[in-house]
Amino acid sequence: MSRPSAKKVAAKGEYIETDSGNKVSRRSAITGTANITLGGRTVIMADVVLRGDLHSTRPTASNSGKEGTPTSISIGKCTVVSTSSVLKPPCRMSRGAPNFYPMKIGDNVFIGPNCVISAIAISSHVHIGANVTIHAFAVIKENVKILSNTVVPSAMVVAPGSVVGGRPARIVGEVGEGWGVSGGGAGGGLGVGGGGEEKWVEGGDLRELVRSIR
Amino acid sequence: MAQPFPYTYYACDCYDGNNTSSTKRASQLLQEAEEEERTFDPRSPRANYSLYPLEHLLYCEDCQQVRCPRCIIEETLNWYCPSCLFEVPSSVVKSDGNRCTRSCFSCPLCTSNLQTYSLDQTGESAPPFILECQYCRWSSLEIGIEFEKGQGIAAQLARLGNGGKHIPTNKERDKERERRREVEMRKSRDLLSPSTESTNTDTERDDRPPSHDDLFSNLTAFYKSQVDTQTPSNPFSSHDINFSSPSAYSRIMNLYSTTGSKKNKRSKPSAMREAASSLEGLTIHDPISDAAAIERIKREGWGVTLSPAQKHAQINPNVRFTDEIRPLATLLCTKRSKRCRSCRQILTKPESKITSTRYKIKLLALNHIPRLSIRALNASPPTPVASRTAETFDYNALKPGIPAHFLLHLSNPLFDSIKVTLATPSTTPGKVHSRVTILCPQFDVGANTDIWDDALSSSLSPIKRGSVSEGPAQIEAGKIWDRGRNWTSVAVEIVPGFTNSQGSGSEEQELEEDEDVLEIPIFVRIEYETDAGADDRGLGDSRGSKGEKERREEAFWTVVGVGRIKGA
Ligand SMILES: [Zn+2]
Ligand SMILES: [Zn+2]
Ligand SMILES: [Zn+2]
Ligand SMILES: [Zn+2]
Repeated sequence: MSRPSAKKVAAKGEYIETDSGNKVSRRSAITGTANITLGGRTVIMADVVLRGDLHSTRPTASNSGKEGTPTSISIGKCTVVSTSSVLKPPCRMSRGAPNFYPMKIGDNVFIGPNCVISAIAISSHVHIGANVTIHAFAVIKENVKILSNTVVPSAMVVAPGSVVGGRPARIVGEVGEGWGVSGGGAGGGLGVGGGGEEKWVEGGDLRELVRSIR
Repeated sequence: MAQPFPYTYYACDCYDGNNTSSTKRASQLLQEAEEEERTFDPRSPRANYSLYPLEHLLYCEDCQQVRCPRCIIEETLNWYCPSCLFEVPSSVVKSDGNRCTRSCFSCPLCTSNLQTYSLDQTGESAPPFILECQYCRWSSLEIGIEFEKGQGIAAQLARLGNGGKHIPTNKERDKERERRREVEMRKSRDLLSPSTESTNTDTERDDRPPSHDDLFSNLTAFYKSQVDTQTPSNPFSSHDINFSSPSAYSRIMNLYSTTGSKKNKRSKPSAMREAASSLEGLTIHDPISDAAAIERIKREGWGVTLSPAQKHAQINPNVRFTDEIRPLATLLCTKRSKRCRSCRQILTKPESKITSTRYKIKLLALNHIPRLSIRALNASPPTPVASRTAETFDYNALKPGIPAHFLLHLSNPLFDSIKVTLATPSTTPGKVHSRVTILCPQFDVGANTDIWDDALSSSLSPIKRGSVSEGPAQIEAGKIWDRGRNWTSVAVEIVPGFTNSQGSGSEEQELEEDEDVLEIPIFVRIEYETDAGADDRGLGDSRGSKGEKERREEAFWTVVGVGRIKGA
C-alpha cells in the first residue's frame, strides 16, 4: 500500500485548501473546474477524477444570458471523495449525440476509495463503501448506506434509509434509527493520534473527519 | 463479512429467556448471577439473535433498558414503493397486494430494476414500449411482451400474457367458468339421454389446460360457494352478493322458505367438500406436461430453466422455463413506529411523509449507554483514508502467539459522570483460545457536558501521554491510558491464539468458517448518580425522593471484533 513517491509530494502539503475550507489533493485530476462547485469543507483526495468538462451541450432556456458556464458536478458541504474515485456526470444519447446531465451530491456524503459514480443525484448523509459502481441516472436518497463492491444499476432509485449491496444492488436492510447520530460519543478536542477514537460515524456529520484529513 | 474490523456489537439481554418484562432490579440480580457463572459466548448460535450494532438499539426510558429489534413491537404507519416513492394506501394494499401498481418492476432474472423504453426508432417516445433490465439487459421482448403506452405498465401487464396473449379479467373468468359448467352439465345430460349431439363444437376450445390464475380463481369461487351454502346468513347484509351465482340464489330461496327448514339446517350442518374438478380449482397432475418438460431440458439444456431463487421470486410457483417468467412488480416497503414490548411506550415514530427522514420520537440507546470501541495501540485512528500511508494496522492478519496492545475507548453520552467496570474472560471462547487482559478494568468517564464547561473547569485534567509516534509509551496495569471530557481509554493486552491446534496434542481440528475471527466478549457495568427528579416516571423508588441524587446502574455484554488471526 505504501507509495514512496507519495511522501515527497506530501511534504509540500497534500491538500490545497480553499477559502471555504475545501481540501483538494494536489494529486487529484480535475477537468473543467469552472463547471464544478464544492460546498465548503469538502475533501477531494488523491487520484480522484472529477469530469467537470462533461457538461450539458444543449442550449439551456433557463440560462438567460446571465452565466455562460453550465454546472456539471455540484458537491455539498463536508463531503469526502476518497482516493482513486471517479465522478462522471451521467450521459444519454439524444438525436445521435451524447448529452450530459449535471450530477448533484449533497452534504456529509462519504464516497469510499475506487468508486465510479455516474448518479444523477446523491442526497445527504449517504455512506458509500469502497469499489462501488453507481451507473448513470441512479438516484441515492438520504441516509443510505451502500456496501463495498456494490454495483447500482442505471436509473435505480435507492429509497431513504436503506442499506443496499450486491451486484446488481438490492435492498438488504435498513440503517438503524441511530444512523448518523454520534450520541455524545463524539468528544471534542481530541488531537489526532492522542488516544481518541473515531469522532465521526457513518452517515453522520463528517466535519471532524474532514478536519483530521491533512 | 458484513462489518470491517474492528467493530463492537451490543447484546440485548432479552436473548436469554423471557425477561423482557423484567424490571431493572431483576436484571441486576440476573447480571450478578451472570458475573459469577457465565460469560457471554459470541459463538453460540443464539448470539446471532442478540448482537446488534449500537445504532440499531433503542432505549425505553420507562423500563430503563436497552431495546433491540426482538423486544419491540412494530406498527406500520404507511406503505410505499421504494422505487417511485409513492405512498400506497392500506386499502389498496389489502385489495391489490404488497406490490407497486404503477410502473415499477424488477428483472425476473437478476432482480435489478426494469426501465420502460420506446422501441420507436425515430427518436421520440412512441409505441411500442418494452421493459428492459438495467443490469443484465433482459427485456420483455424475450417473453413476447410489448406495451402500447409508456405509463401504467402494471395495469397493461395484468392483461398481457407471455407472447402477447390476452389474460382474462376476473369477470371474464367468472363468465367462462359458468359457460364451461353449463357445457359439462349438458354433456352429462347427454350421456344419460343421448338424444342430441350438438355440444361437440364447444368442446374444441377447452383443450388448453387451465392456467395457474384460472385455477386459483376457480378455487376461490368454489370455496366461496361452499362457505356461502354453509352459513346462510342474511343475504342482504353481505356486501358482495352475486345474483348470478347459484349459491346466492339458493340463499335467497332459503330465506323465503319455511322456518322449519332453517331449524333443520342449524341442527345438522352439511359437511364442506373439497374441489373435485378443475372447474372447482382442483389441480390434476398432468404426466404429459412433465414428460414434455423433460424432453425440453434434453433438447435445450439447463440454460432454459430457472434457478431456485428466480423461481422462488415468481408469483406463479409452477414456472420452470425462462420463457414463462414475468417481470416482478416492486415489493412495497413500510414506515413503522416502534414500541417497547413490555410497557408499550413509543420508542420511535417517524414522520409519516414518505420523503421525510425525520422522526417525531426517537429514543436511542446510544444516548443512554456508553459507546465502546477498540483499535490497535500503534495504529492511527480508523479513517478509511488510504492516503494515510504511515502505518496502517492490518486487522485481518493478527499474529498468533505474539502479545499485541489495543486501546478500548469508552465515551459517555450521559450528563453525569460514570463509574465503569469492565470484565472479560481471560481466554476467548471457541476453538481458538486467545488471552485477553484489560489492564485497567475500573475507571471513571467524565460527563457529556458542554465543551466550554470543560475548558472552564479543569477538574478532569487529562493525562498527557506522549504521542503514539514517540516510541513505545509505557502501559501500566491499573492506570488508564488517556482521557478527555467525556471519554476514557484503557489498554488491553491480547495474545491471539493459534489457529492450528499446536498447543494441544489433539488431532487435526478443522476450523469452521470465521473461527479465526478474534471476538472478545466484554461485560460493561456502569454506575452513576443522577437527579432523581429528572426522570421520575416508572420506578417507584423510595430512595429517589425529591432533590436527591439517585444511584443508577446499567450493565450489558458487548462483543468486540478485533480482527482475524492469520494462520501460521
Ligand atoms: Zn432485546
Ligand atoms: Zn413504484
Ligand atoms: Zn436483469
Ligand atoms: Zn418499556
